[in-house]
Amino acid sequence: MDFLTTYIVLAEIYVLLGLSTNLLVGIVGIFSVSQAAVFGVGAYLTAFLLMHTALPFPVAVLLAAAFCVGLNILVTLPSLRVSGDYFVVTSFGIQLLATAVFTNWTGGTGGANGLPGVPAPLILGHEFTEPTEFIALTTIGMALGCLCFWLMMRAPFGALLRAIREDELAVAALGKSVLGAKVSAAALAGAFAGSAGGLYATFLSFVDPSSFDLDASIFLLTMVVVGGARTLAGSVLGPFVLLALPQILALIDIPTSIAAAARQLIYGLLLIVFMLFRPQGLLGEKL
Amino acid sequence: MTAYLQVTGLNKRFGGLQALRDCSFTVGQGRITCLVGPNGAGKTTIFNAITGFLVPDTGHVEFQGRSLDGQSPQQIVHHGIARTFQNLRLFADLTARDNVLAGMQDHVGEGPLGAIFRPFHTARALAAKQDAAMAVLAHVGLQDRASALVRNLSYGEQKLLCIARILATGAELLLLDEPTSGLSGAALTEVMALLRRLQAEGKTLLVVEHNTRVVQQIADDVLFLHHGHLLAHGSPAEIIADPKLAEIYFGGTL
Repeated sequence: MDFLTTYIVLAEIYVLLGLSTNLLVGIVGIFSVSQAAVFGVGAYLTAFLLMHTALPFPVAVLLAAAFCVGLNILVTLPSLRVSGDYFVVTSFGIQLLATAVFTNWTGGTGGANGLPGVPAPLILGHEFTEPTEFIALTTIGMALGCLCFWLMMRAPFGALLRAIREDELAVAALGKSVLGAKVSAAALAGAFAGSAGGLYATFLSFVDPSSFDLDASIFLLTMVVVGGARTLAGSVLGPFVLLALPQILALIDIPTSIAAAARQLIYGLLLIVFMLFRPQGLLGEKL
Repeated sequence: MTAYLQVTGLNKRFGGLQALRDCSFTVGQGRITCLVGPNGAGKTTIFNAITGFLVPDTGHVEFQGRSLDGQSPQQIVHHGIARTFQNLRLFADLTARDNVLAGMQDHVGEGPLGAIFRPFHTARALAAKQDAAMAVLAHVGLQDRASALVRNLSYGEQKLLCIARILATGAELLLLDEPTSGLSGAALTEVMALLRRLQAEGKTLLVVEHNTRVVQQIADDVLFLHHGHLLAHGSPAEIIADPKLAEIYFGGTL
Protein backbone atom coordinates (compact mmCIF):
# COMPACT_ATOMS: atom_id res chain seq x y z
CA MET A 1 0.00 0.00 0.00
CA ASP A 2 3.04 2.24 0.37
CA PHE A 3 2.95 2.79 -3.34
CA LEU A 4 -0.52 4.33 -3.24
CA THR A 5 0.16 6.31 -0.06
CA THR A 6 3.32 7.82 -1.51
CA TYR A 7 1.37 8.83 -4.58
CA ILE A 8 -1.30 10.54 -2.46
CA VAL A 9 1.25 12.34 -0.27
CA LEU A 10 3.08 13.71 -3.30
CA ALA A 11 -0.16 14.65 -5.04
CA GLU A 12 -1.31 16.53 -1.95
CA ILE A 13 1.95 18.46 -1.84
CA TYR A 14 1.53 19.29 -5.52
CA VAL A 15 -2.02 20.49 -4.85
CA LEU A 16 -0.46 23.31 -2.81
CA LEU A 17 1.76 24.08 -5.80
CA GLY A 18 -1.27 23.90 -8.07
CA LEU A 19 -3.04 26.48 -5.88
CA SER A 20 0.04 28.68 -5.99
CA THR A 21 0.33 28.50 -9.76
CA ASN A 22 -3.40 28.79 -10.37
CA LEU A 23 -3.65 31.86 -8.18
CA LEU A 24 -0.94 33.70 -10.10
CA VAL A 25 -1.44 32.39 -13.62
CA GLY A 26 -5.11 31.43 -13.70
CA ILE A 27 -6.76 34.01 -11.48
CA VAL A 28 -4.58 37.13 -11.67
CA GLY A 29 -3.05 36.39 -15.07
CA ILE A 30 0.59 36.82 -14.03
CA PHE A 31 2.17 34.21 -16.27
CA SER A 32 4.90 32.93 -14.00
CA VAL A 33 7.18 30.12 -15.14
CA SER A 34 9.27 30.26 -11.99
CA GLN A 35 6.97 28.76 -9.35
CA ALA A 36 9.21 25.69 -9.06
CA ALA A 37 12.07 27.98 -8.05
CA VAL A 38 10.05 29.32 -5.11
CA PHE A 39 9.04 25.74 -4.27
CA GLY A 40 12.76 24.86 -4.28
CA VAL A 41 13.73 27.71 -2.00
CA GLY A 42 11.07 26.55 0.46
CA ALA A 43 12.43 23.01 0.32
CA TYR A 44 16.11 23.94 0.69
CA LEU A 45 15.43 26.44 3.44
CA THR A 46 13.36 23.97 5.47
CA ALA A 47 16.05 21.32 4.98
CA PHE A 48 18.76 23.74 6.07
CA LEU A 49 16.86 24.87 9.16
CA LEU A 50 16.11 21.33 10.28
CA MET A 51 19.66 20.11 9.66
CA HIS A 52 21.55 23.03 11.19
CA THR A 53 19.29 24.47 13.86
CA ALA A 54 17.20 23.05 16.67
CA LEU A 55 14.01 24.66 15.36
CA PRO A 56 10.97 22.40 15.49
CA PHE A 57 9.42 21.32 12.19
CA PRO A 58 6.35 23.62 12.21
CA VAL A 59 8.52 26.67 12.91
CA ALA A 60 11.00 25.72 10.17
CA VAL A 61 8.22 25.34 7.61
CA LEU A 62 6.59 28.60 8.69
CA LEU A 63 9.91 30.43 8.40
CA ALA A 64 10.53 28.93 4.97
CA ALA A 65 7.01 29.87 3.88
CA ALA A 66 7.46 33.41 5.20
CA PHE A 67 10.73 33.74 3.31
CA CYS A 68 8.99 32.53 0.14
CA VAL A 69 6.28 35.15 0.64
CA GLY A 70 8.92 37.86 0.42
CA LEU A 71 10.75 36.11 -2.39
CA ASN A 72 7.64 35.61 -4.51
CA ILE A 73 6.64 39.26 -4.09
CA LEU A 74 10.11 40.20 -5.27
CA VAL A 75 10.10 37.94 -8.34
CA THR A 76 6.53 38.94 -9.22
CA LEU A 77 7.17 42.68 -8.96
CA PRO A 78 8.47 42.96 -12.53
CA SER A 79 4.94 42.02 -13.65
CA LEU A 80 3.85 45.45 -12.47
CA ARG A 81 6.03 47.07 -15.08
CA VAL A 82 6.27 44.50 -17.86
CA SER A 83 2.99 42.89 -18.69
CA GLY A 84 1.81 39.73 -20.39
CA ASP A 85 4.23 37.98 -22.69
CA TYR A 86 7.19 40.08 -21.59
CA PHE A 87 6.86 38.93 -18.01
CA VAL A 88 7.24 35.30 -19.17
CA VAL A 89 10.74 36.17 -20.33
CA THR A 90 11.59 37.80 -17.00
CA SER A 91 10.14 34.88 -15.10
CA PHE A 92 12.04 32.43 -17.31
CA GLY A 93 15.25 34.22 -16.39
CA ILE A 94 14.44 34.03 -12.69
CA GLN A 95 13.87 30.28 -12.99
CA LEU A 96 17.21 29.76 -14.77
CA LEU A 97 18.96 31.87 -12.16
CA ALA A 98 17.44 29.79 -9.36
CA THR A 99 18.47 26.53 -11.03
CA ALA A 100 22.01 27.86 -11.39
CA VAL A 101 22.13 28.71 -7.68
CA PHE A 102 20.66 25.34 -6.63
CA THR A 103 23.17 23.49 -8.80
CA ASN A 104 26.30 25.50 -8.11
CA TRP A 105 26.09 26.71 -4.55
CA THR A 106 27.58 23.50 -3.19
CA GLY A 107 28.13 24.99 0.28
CA GLY A 108 24.43 25.73 0.81
CA THR A 109 22.51 23.35 -1.40
CA GLY A 110 24.89 20.46 -1.89
CA GLY A 111 25.03 21.31 -5.60
CA ALA A 112 23.95 18.68 -8.09
CA ASN A 113 24.31 15.98 -5.45
CA GLY A 114 21.63 17.57 -3.37
CA LEU A 115 21.11 17.54 0.38
CA PRO A 116 20.57 14.06 1.83
CA GLY A 117 19.44 13.31 5.36
CA VAL A 118 16.75 15.90 5.93
CA PRO A 119 15.25 14.91 9.29
CA ALA A 120 11.65 13.69 9.37
CA PRO A 121 9.11 16.04 10.98
CA LEU A 122 8.98 15.79 14.73
CA ILE A 123 5.76 17.11 16.24
CA LEU A 124 4.92 16.70 19.95
CA GLY A 125 7.48 13.94 20.26
CA HIS A 126 6.08 11.99 17.34
CA GLU A 127 8.23 11.40 14.30
CA PHE A 128 6.49 11.25 10.92
CA THR A 129 8.71 8.84 9.02
CA GLU A 130 6.37 6.50 7.17
CA PRO A 131 4.20 7.70 4.25
CA THR A 132 1.18 6.35 6.15
CA GLU A 133 1.98 8.83 8.95
CA PHE A 134 3.15 11.65 6.75
CA ILE A 135 -0.14 11.63 4.89
CA ALA A 136 -1.74 13.27 7.95
CA LEU A 137 0.55 16.29 7.53
CA THR A 138 0.04 16.68 3.80
CA THR A 139 -3.70 16.21 4.10
CA ILE A 140 -3.89 18.95 6.72
CA GLY A 141 -1.63 21.16 4.61
CA MET A 142 -3.72 20.60 1.51
CA ALA A 143 -6.99 21.15 3.37
CA LEU A 144 -5.74 24.42 4.85
CA GLY A 145 -4.53 25.57 1.44
CA CYS A 146 -7.83 24.72 -0.20
CA LEU A 147 -9.78 26.43 2.56
CA CYS A 148 -7.74 29.63 2.19
CA PHE A 149 -8.13 29.53 -1.58
CA TRP A 150 -11.88 28.99 -1.34
CA LEU A 151 -12.36 31.75 1.24
CA MET A 152 -10.38 34.20 -0.88
CA MET A 153 -12.11 33.38 -4.14
CA ARG A 154 -15.59 33.86 -2.79
CA ALA A 155 -14.64 37.12 -1.05
CA PRO A 156 -14.50 40.47 -2.85
CA PHE A 157 -10.74 39.85 -3.02
CA GLY A 158 -11.33 37.09 -5.57
CA ALA A 159 -13.49 39.32 -7.73
CA LEU A 160 -10.85 42.04 -7.54
CA LEU A 161 -8.11 39.66 -8.70
CA ARG A 162 -10.25 38.46 -11.61
CA ALA A 163 -11.01 42.05 -12.57
CA ILE A 164 -7.28 42.79 -12.58
CA ARG A 165 -6.70 39.91 -14.97
CA GLU A 166 -9.24 41.36 -17.36
CA ASP A 167 -8.32 45.04 -17.23
CA GLU A 168 -5.87 46.63 -14.81
CA LEU A 169 -6.52 50.12 -16.05
CA ALA A 170 -10.26 49.81 -15.45
CA VAL A 171 -9.58 48.56 -11.93
CA ALA A 172 -7.42 51.62 -11.24
CA ALA A 173 -10.19 53.80 -12.67
CA LEU A 174 -12.53 52.35 -10.05
CA GLY A 175 -10.29 53.55 -7.24
CA LYS A 176 -8.73 50.18 -6.42
CA SER A 177 -5.08 49.45 -5.76
CA VAL A 178 -3.81 47.11 -8.46
CA LEU A 179 -0.39 47.04 -6.81
CA GLY A 180 -1.80 46.03 -3.42
CA ALA A 181 -3.90 43.21 -4.83
CA LYS A 182 -1.06 41.83 -6.96
CA VAL A 183 1.36 41.91 -4.05
CA SER A 184 -1.19 40.09 -1.87
CA ALA A 185 -1.72 37.41 -4.50
CA ALA A 186 2.03 36.96 -4.95
CA ALA A 187 2.48 36.70 -1.19
CA LEU A 188 -0.11 33.95 -0.91
CA ALA A 189 1.26 32.07 -3.90
CA GLY A 190 4.67 32.28 -2.20
CA ALA A 191 3.26 30.93 1.07
CA PHE A 192 1.64 27.99 -0.74
CA ALA A 193 4.80 27.14 -2.71
CA GLY A 194 7.08 27.60 0.32
CA SER A 195 5.10 25.31 2.60
CA ALA A 196 4.82 22.76 -0.21
CA GLY A 197 8.63 22.89 -0.36
CA GLY A 198 8.91 22.26 3.36
CA LEU A 199 6.65 19.22 3.19
CA TYR A 200 8.44 17.92 0.10
CA ALA A 201 11.91 18.14 1.60
CA THR A 202 10.95 16.40 4.83
CA PHE A 203 8.88 13.73 3.10
CA LEU A 204 11.65 12.67 0.72
CA SER A 205 14.37 13.49 3.30
CA PHE A 206 16.38 14.56 0.28
CA VAL A 207 16.40 17.63 -1.97
CA ASP A 208 18.19 18.11 -5.26
CA PRO A 209 17.95 20.68 -8.06
CA SER A 210 16.12 18.42 -10.52
CA SER A 211 12.83 18.81 -8.65
CA PHE A 212 12.91 22.59 -8.99
CA ASP A 213 14.09 23.26 -12.53
CA LEU A 214 12.34 24.72 -15.56
CA ASP A 215 10.79 21.34 -16.39
CA ALA A 216 9.25 21.34 -12.93
CA SER A 217 7.81 24.83 -13.47
CA ILE A 218 6.32 23.74 -16.78
CA PHE A 219 4.98 20.63 -15.07
CA LEU A 220 3.16 22.91 -12.61
CA LEU A 221 1.65 24.85 -15.50
CA THR A 222 0.61 21.59 -17.18
CA MET A 223 -1.09 20.57 -13.94
CA VAL A 224 -3.14 23.77 -13.94
CA VAL A 225 -3.97 23.50 -17.64
CA VAL A 226 -5.05 19.86 -17.41
CA GLY A 227 -6.84 20.18 -14.06
CA GLY A 228 -8.49 23.42 -14.98
CA ALA A 229 -7.45 27.03 -14.68
CA ARG A 230 -9.06 29.46 -12.25
CA THR A 231 -10.89 26.94 -10.08
CA LEU A 232 -10.21 25.19 -6.80
CA ALA A 233 -11.40 21.85 -8.18
CA GLY A 234 -9.01 22.18 -11.13
CA SER A 235 -6.05 22.88 -8.84
CA VAL A 236 -6.81 19.72 -6.87
CA LEU A 237 -7.59 17.41 -9.77
CA GLY A 238 -4.59 18.37 -11.92
CA PRO A 239 -1.85 17.07 -9.59
CA PHE A 240 -3.71 13.83 -8.91
CA VAL A 241 -4.12 13.16 -12.65
CA LEU A 242 -0.60 14.09 -13.69
CA LEU A 243 1.17 12.31 -10.85
CA ALA A 244 -0.83 9.16 -11.60
CA LEU A 245 0.77 9.06 -15.01
CA PRO A 246 4.25 7.82 -13.96
CA GLN A 247 2.58 5.22 -11.75
CA ILE A 248 0.56 3.96 -14.69
CA LEU A 249 3.67 3.93 -16.88
CA ALA A 250 5.40 1.91 -14.18
CA LEU A 251 2.72 -0.75 -14.46
CA ILE A 252 3.40 -1.08 -18.17
CA ASP A 253 6.60 -3.00 -18.56
CA ILE A 254 8.95 -0.57 -20.31
CA PRO A 255 12.63 0.07 -19.58
CA THR A 256 13.24 2.90 -17.08
CA SER A 257 15.52 4.67 -19.55
CA ILE A 258 12.60 5.08 -21.93
CA ALA A 259 10.02 5.71 -19.20
CA ALA A 260 11.49 9.06 -18.16
CA ALA A 261 11.54 10.33 -21.72
CA ALA A 262 8.09 8.90 -22.37
CA ARG A 263 6.77 10.83 -19.37
CA GLN A 264 8.08 14.15 -20.68
CA LEU A 265 6.62 13.32 -24.08
CA ILE A 266 3.22 12.57 -22.61
CA TYR A 267 3.22 15.73 -20.48
CA GLY A 268 4.04 17.76 -23.57
CA LEU A 269 1.34 16.06 -25.62
CA LEU A 270 -1.21 16.57 -22.86
CA LEU A 271 -0.41 20.27 -22.75
CA ILE A 272 -0.89 20.62 -26.51
CA VAL A 273 -4.01 18.48 -26.69
CA PHE A 274 -5.70 20.32 -23.84
CA MET A 275 -4.76 23.74 -25.23
CA LEU A 276 -6.29 22.75 -28.56
CA PHE A 277 -9.40 20.85 -27.55
CA ARG A 278 -10.22 21.77 -23.97
CA PRO A 279 -8.44 24.96 -22.96
CA GLN A 280 -10.46 25.21 -19.74
CA GLY A 281 -9.05 21.88 -18.53
CA LEU A 282 -11.03 19.11 -16.88
CA LEU A 283 -12.69 21.19 -14.18
CA GLY A 284 -11.77 24.74 -15.11
CA GLU A 285 -13.79 27.83 -15.78
CA LYS A 286 -14.95 28.03 -19.38
CA LEU A 287 -12.53 30.26 -21.24
CA MET B 1 -17.45 81.72 -6.62
CA THR B 2 -15.11 78.78 -7.08
CA ALA B 3 -16.02 76.47 -9.91
CA TYR B 4 -16.95 72.87 -9.19
CA LEU B 5 -14.31 71.60 -11.57
CA GLN B 6 -11.68 74.05 -12.75
CA VAL B 7 -9.22 73.14 -15.47
CA THR B 8 -6.50 75.72 -15.99
CA GLY B 9 -3.89 76.00 -18.72
CA LEU B 10 -3.38 72.32 -19.50
CA ASN B 11 -0.63 71.54 -21.98
CA LYS B 12 0.38 68.12 -23.14
CA ARG B 13 2.71 67.23 -25.97
CA PHE B 14 3.11 63.70 -27.38
CA GLY B 15 6.26 63.91 -29.48
CA GLY B 16 5.39 66.26 -32.34
CA LEU B 17 1.70 66.42 -31.45
CA GLN B 18 0.38 69.13 -29.16
CA ALA B 19 -2.57 67.19 -27.74
CA LEU B 20 -3.58 69.91 -25.30
CA ARG B 21 -2.74 73.57 -25.82
CA ASP B 22 -3.40 75.98 -22.96
CA CYS B 23 -6.72 74.32 -22.32
CA SER B 24 -8.91 75.93 -19.65
CA PHE B 25 -12.55 75.56 -18.73
CA THR B 26 -14.91 75.10 -15.83
CA VAL B 27 -17.74 72.71 -15.12
CA GLY B 28 -20.67 73.86 -13.01
CA GLN B 29 -22.06 71.71 -10.22
CA GLY B 30 -25.22 69.81 -11.03
CA ARG B 31 -25.00 70.55 -14.74
CA ILE B 32 -24.57 68.40 -17.80
CA THR B 33 -21.62 69.74 -19.73
CA CYS B 34 -20.90 68.32 -23.15
CA LEU B 35 -17.40 68.26 -24.51
CA VAL B 36 -17.52 68.40 -28.30
CA GLY B 37 -15.04 68.80 -31.11
CA PRO B 38 -13.73 66.98 -34.15
CA ASN B 39 -11.79 63.74 -33.85
CA GLY B 40 -8.38 64.28 -32.33
CA ALA B 41 -9.45 67.50 -30.61
CA GLY B 42 -8.15 66.17 -27.28
CA LYS B 43 -11.41 65.23 -25.57
CA THR B 44 -10.23 61.89 -24.23
CA THR B 45 -6.84 63.42 -23.38
CA ILE B 46 -8.68 65.92 -21.18
CA PHE B 47 -10.44 63.02 -19.44
CA ASN B 48 -7.12 61.29 -18.89
CA ALA B 49 -5.60 64.45 -17.45
CA ILE B 50 -8.49 65.05 -15.05
CA THR B 51 -8.59 61.44 -13.82
CA GLY B 52 -4.85 61.05 -13.26
CA PHE B 53 -4.14 58.65 -16.12
CA LEU B 54 -1.99 61.28 -17.76
CA VAL B 55 0.27 63.88 -16.21
CA PRO B 56 0.01 67.15 -18.16
CA ASP B 57 3.22 69.01 -18.99
CA THR B 58 1.79 72.13 -17.36
CA GLY B 59 -1.54 73.22 -15.93
CA HIS B 60 -3.81 72.50 -13.01
CA VAL B 61 -7.03 70.70 -12.21
CA GLU B 62 -9.06 71.72 -9.16
CA PHE B 63 -12.13 69.94 -7.85
CA GLN B 64 -14.30 71.68 -5.25
CA GLY B 65 -11.41 74.01 -4.54
CA ARG B 66 -8.91 71.18 -3.97
CA SER B 67 -5.99 70.59 -6.28
CA LEU B 68 -5.85 67.23 -8.05
CA ASP B 69 -2.36 67.78 -9.46
CA GLY B 70 -0.11 64.74 -9.20
CA GLN B 71 -2.80 62.47 -7.80
CA SER B 72 -3.18 58.86 -8.92
CA PRO B 73 -6.35 57.58 -10.63
CA GLN B 74 -7.11 55.75 -7.41
CA GLN B 75 -6.93 58.91 -5.26
CA ILE B 76 -9.03 60.85 -7.73
CA VAL B 77 -11.86 58.32 -7.43
CA HIS B 78 -11.70 58.86 -3.67
CA HIS B 79 -12.17 62.59 -4.28
CA GLY B 80 -15.46 61.76 -6.01
CA ILE B 81 -14.61 61.76 -9.71
CA ALA B 82 -15.09 58.63 -11.83
CA ARG B 83 -14.90 58.06 -15.54
CA THR B 84 -16.02 55.64 -18.22
CA PHE B 85 -13.99 54.65 -21.24
CA GLN B 86 -14.78 55.08 -24.91
CA ASN B 87 -13.92 51.41 -25.47
CA LEU B 88 -15.90 50.40 -22.36
CA ARG B 89 -13.17 48.34 -20.62
CA LEU B 90 -15.73 46.20 -18.81
CA PHE B 91 -14.62 42.94 -17.20
CA ALA B 92 -15.96 40.68 -19.96
CA ASP B 93 -15.72 37.36 -18.12
CA LEU B 94 -17.37 38.65 -14.97
CA THR B 95 -21.10 38.99 -14.40
CA ALA B 96 -22.82 42.35 -14.61
CA ARG B 97 -23.21 42.30 -10.84
CA ASP B 98 -19.52 41.59 -10.21
CA ASN B 99 -18.60 44.45 -12.54
CA VAL B 100 -20.66 46.80 -10.39
CA LEU B 101 -19.26 45.20 -7.23
CA ALA B 102 -15.75 46.03 -8.40
CA GLY B 103 -16.69 49.70 -8.34
CA MET B 104 -17.85 49.78 -4.72
CA GLN B 105 -15.58 51.74 -2.41
CA ASP B 106 -16.27 49.67 0.71
CA HIS B 107 -13.01 47.71 0.85
CA VAL B 108 -14.06 45.03 3.35
CA GLY B 109 -12.91 41.60 2.15
CA GLU B 110 -10.71 42.97 -0.59
CA GLY B 111 -7.55 41.84 1.16
CA PRO B 112 -6.57 38.19 1.59
CA LEU B 113 -6.16 38.36 5.38
CA GLY B 114 -9.66 39.66 6.01
CA ALA B 115 -11.04 37.09 3.60
CA ILE B 116 -9.25 34.21 5.34
CA PHE B 117 -9.34 35.18 9.00
CA ARG B 118 -12.69 36.95 9.16
CA PRO B 119 -14.77 34.73 6.86
CA PHE B 120 -18.14 35.48 8.44
CA HIS B 121 -17.57 39.21 8.57
CA THR B 122 -16.47 39.06 4.92
CA ALA B 123 -19.52 37.01 3.92
CA ARG B 124 -21.84 39.52 5.56
CA ALA B 125 -20.04 42.43 3.91
CA LEU B 126 -20.22 40.64 0.57
CA ALA B 127 -23.95 40.03 0.92
CA ALA B 128 -24.49 43.72 1.73
CA LYS B 129 -22.37 44.74 -1.25
CA GLN B 130 -24.27 42.41 -3.54
CA ASP B 131 -27.54 43.98 -2.45
CA ALA B 132 -26.11 47.42 -3.06
CA ALA B 133 -24.86 46.29 -6.48
CA MET B 134 -28.33 45.02 -7.34
CA ALA B 135 -29.78 48.38 -6.39
CA VAL B 136 -27.31 50.14 -8.70
CA LEU B 137 -28.17 47.73 -11.52
CA ALA B 138 -31.88 48.35 -10.96
CA HIS B 139 -31.16 52.07 -11.14
CA VAL B 140 -29.90 51.76 -14.71
CA GLY B 141 -32.50 49.15 -15.64
CA LEU B 142 -30.23 46.09 -15.70
CA GLN B 143 -31.59 44.22 -12.67
CA ASP B 144 -32.72 41.31 -14.85
CA ARG B 145 -29.23 40.89 -16.30
CA ALA B 146 -27.33 40.80 -13.00
CA SER B 147 -25.98 37.28 -13.34
CA ALA B 148 -25.29 37.48 -17.07
CA LEU B 149 -21.67 37.57 -18.17
CA VAL B 150 -20.75 40.89 -19.73
CA ARG B 151 -19.86 39.32 -23.06
CA ASN B 152 -23.45 38.04 -23.31
CA LEU B 153 -24.91 41.52 -22.85
CA SER B 154 -26.03 43.62 -25.80
CA TYR B 155 -23.96 46.67 -26.67
CA GLY B 156 -26.63 48.95 -25.24
CA GLU B 157 -26.67 47.00 -21.99
CA GLN B 158 -22.87 47.19 -21.81
CA LYS B 159 -23.03 50.96 -22.19
CA LEU B 160 -25.50 51.15 -19.30
CA LEU B 161 -23.30 48.85 -17.21
CA CYS B 162 -20.34 51.20 -17.70
CA ILE B 163 -22.39 53.93 -16.07
CA ALA B 164 -23.60 51.58 -13.32
CA ARG B 165 -20.04 50.62 -12.52
CA ILE B 166 -18.93 54.18 -11.89
CA LEU B 167 -22.15 54.98 -10.01
CA ALA B 168 -21.10 52.23 -7.61
CA THR B 169 -18.02 54.27 -6.70
CA GLY B 170 -20.33 56.91 -5.26
CA ALA B 171 -18.65 59.61 -7.34
CA GLU B 172 -20.37 62.99 -7.62
CA LEU B 173 -18.72 64.06 -10.85
CA LEU B 174 -19.11 61.54 -13.68
CA LEU B 175 -16.93 61.76 -16.76
CA LEU B 176 -18.62 59.84 -19.55
CA ASP B 177 -16.64 59.15 -22.72
CA GLU B 178 -19.17 58.82 -25.55
CA PRO B 179 -21.95 57.10 -23.59
CA THR B 180 -24.28 57.11 -26.60
CA SER B 181 -21.92 56.22 -29.46
CA GLY B 182 -23.10 53.24 -31.45
CA LEU B 183 -26.57 53.40 -29.96
CA SER B 184 -29.81 54.19 -31.71
CA GLY B 185 -33.53 54.01 -31.13
CA ALA B 186 -34.68 52.78 -27.76
CA ALA B 187 -31.18 52.21 -26.37
CA LEU B 188 -30.21 55.81 -27.17
CA THR B 189 -33.36 57.17 -25.58
CA GLU B 190 -32.73 55.04 -22.51
CA VAL B 191 -29.19 56.34 -21.97
CA MET B 192 -30.31 59.94 -22.46
CA ALA B 193 -33.10 59.46 -19.93
CA LEU B 194 -30.62 57.94 -17.49
CA LEU B 195 -28.26 60.92 -17.83
CA ARG B 196 -31.10 63.33 -17.07
CA ARG B 197 -32.17 61.22 -14.12
CA LEU B 198 -28.64 61.26 -12.72
CA GLN B 199 -28.59 65.03 -13.04
CA ALA B 200 -31.90 65.26 -11.20
CA GLU B 201 -30.34 63.20 -8.40
CA GLY B 202 -27.60 65.76 -7.99
CA LYS B 203 -24.76 64.31 -10.06
CA THR B 204 -22.61 66.49 -12.24
CA LEU B 205 -21.85 65.14 -15.71
CA LEU B 206 -19.08 65.92 -18.14
CA VAL B 207 -19.87 64.08 -21.35
CA VAL B 208 -17.92 63.59 -24.55
CA GLU B 209 -20.58 63.53 -27.21
CA HIS B 210 -20.53 63.48 -31.00
CA ASN B 211 -24.22 63.42 -31.78
CA THR B 212 -25.39 67.05 -32.07
CA ARG B 213 -28.98 66.02 -31.53
CA VAL B 214 -28.06 64.41 -28.23
CA VAL B 215 -26.04 67.48 -27.25
CA GLN B 216 -29.03 69.72 -27.96
CA GLN B 217 -31.27 67.57 -25.84
CA ILE B 218 -29.16 66.94 -22.76
CA ALA B 219 -26.50 69.65 -22.46
CA ASP B 220 -26.74 72.67 -20.21
CA ASP B 221 -23.32 73.86 -21.33
CA VAL B 222 -21.18 72.98 -24.31
CA LEU B 223 -17.40 73.15 -24.48
CA PHE B 224 -15.99 73.18 -28.00
CA LEU B 225 -12.49 71.80 -28.24
CA HIS B 226 -10.23 72.14 -31.27
CA HIS B 227 -6.57 71.15 -31.53
CA GLY B 228 -6.45 70.70 -27.76
CA HIS B 229 -7.68 74.22 -27.09
CA LEU B 230 -11.05 75.47 -25.85
CA LEU B 231 -12.35 77.36 -28.85
CA ALA B 232 -15.78 78.27 -27.57
CA HIS B 233 -18.23 77.63 -24.78
CA GLY B 234 -21.89 78.41 -24.35
CA SER B 235 -25.36 76.97 -24.52
CA PRO B 236 -26.01 74.23 -27.09
CA ALA B 237 -28.03 76.68 -29.20
CA GLU B 238 -25.18 79.22 -29.27
CA ILE B 239 -22.56 76.65 -30.21
CA ILE B 240 -24.65 75.03 -32.92
CA ALA B 241 -25.65 78.39 -34.40
CA ASP B 242 -22.01 79.41 -34.90
CA PRO B 243 -21.20 78.76 -38.58
CA LYS B 244 -17.45 78.86 -37.92
CA LEU B 245 -17.66 76.01 -35.39
CA ALA B 246 -19.96 74.00 -37.64
CA GLU B 247 -17.39 74.27 -40.40
CA ILE B 248 -14.64 72.91 -38.13
CA TYR B 249 -16.86 70.22 -36.79
CA PHE B 250 -18.09 68.99 -40.13
CA GLY B 251 -14.77 69.04 -41.91
CA GLY B 252 -13.60 72.61 -42.30
CA THR B 253 -9.95 73.54 -42.67
CA LEU B 254 -9.63 76.21 -39.97
